[in-house]
Amino acid sequence: MTTLHVIAHSPFGDERLASCLRLLGTDDALLLCGDAVYALRSGSEPHRQLQAAGLAQRLFALEEDVQARAVGNELAKAVDYAGFVELSLHYDKVNSWL
Amino acid sequence: MKFAIAVFSPAHAPSSRRALRYAEAVLAGGHEIARLFFYQDGVHSASANVVAPQDELDVAGQWRAFIETNQLDAVVCIAAALRRGVLDEAEANRYQRPAVNLPKPWELSGLGQLHEAAQVADRLVCFGGD
Amino acid sequence: MAKSLLIISRQAPWNGPSAREALDIALAGGAFDLPLGMLFLDDGVFQLAADQQPTAVQQKNLAANLQALPMFGVEDLFACSHSLARRGLAADTLALPVQVLDNAALAALIARFDQVVTL
Repeated sequence: MTTLHVIAHSPFGDERLASCLRLLGTDDALLLCGDAVYALRSGSEPHRQLQAAGLAQRLFALEEDVQARAVGNELAKAVDYAGFVELSLHYDKVNSWL
Repeated sequence: MKFAIAVFSPAHAPSSRRALRYAEAVLAGGHEIARLFFYQDGVHSASANVVAPQDELDVAGQWRAFIETNQLDAVVCIAAALRRGVLDEAEANRYQRPAVNLPKPWELSGLGQLHEAAQVADRLVCFGGD
Repeated sequence: MAKSLLIISRQAPWNGPSAREALDIALAGGAFDLPLGMLFLDDGVFQLAADQQPTAVQQKNLAANLQALPMFGVEDLFACSHSLARRGLAADTLALPVQVLDNAALAALIARFDQVVTL
């Protein structure tokens, strides 16, 4: 079964993103929301980690959080809440890294 | 489709607001919410005593309105609530505490309600951690 | 058929109630005979360290409750090998019988559960 992983914490000084990328299945997806969208800042180490992870179409970001933080996002597909709900159903389960 | 939504953070946390916006999108998408379950610091999202600054969002108030308007099943974990001082009338009396801060529409109950919701729902989605 | 639930516990034992509250989810599910698994990941592996003395910080003995998991029917206990190694915890010194899994095995573990809760 596939999993939509959801991370809401800043990747700087926090282990969630690194651990998630270690455990991510080949058909799993990752949705960044809250401060986790800081990982999309180009030139940053988390951005490099995300690029290296080669998630392609499986990386998403909550649009409102990208906008609020003026992050500039070329890596993730931005979604709104309706999109978040759809993703929750497209993947077999949702794992939020609280 | 049926959703069980669990909230682990207080009203002032971004994840509580996010959970509410998500819950709204679930209903707007024509789906059902089998239960809302408030655990850990999520019990504070149910507090009647939260006073949001006038120029800020009243997330606790919005949760209450959302639950009442849509007649949703909203459960607060009793063990988590007691530990954090969120009490309904029965518990305030039982433990002789001066304040009742858990109003209707929330109900105090056990973790069994989270498990039951996870069993009947197609998706269990959790919000919290901040 | 009942849906299976994996509980991932990521917090150290004496960092607030999170470790206990993750365990309470497992115990409650076990009491209802639900198919559960529990994975200790990141700082959560510190819950498994032997010889801890919680009374020193005026806390209850979490290890005793963890050891009760099999009695509640929760026998599928796992720990992340990477998390253990990073924290200098040797798998054969742990206070709880857990299956130690590497990254690929953990991905497969998560994949086979119907639901997951990570706290």
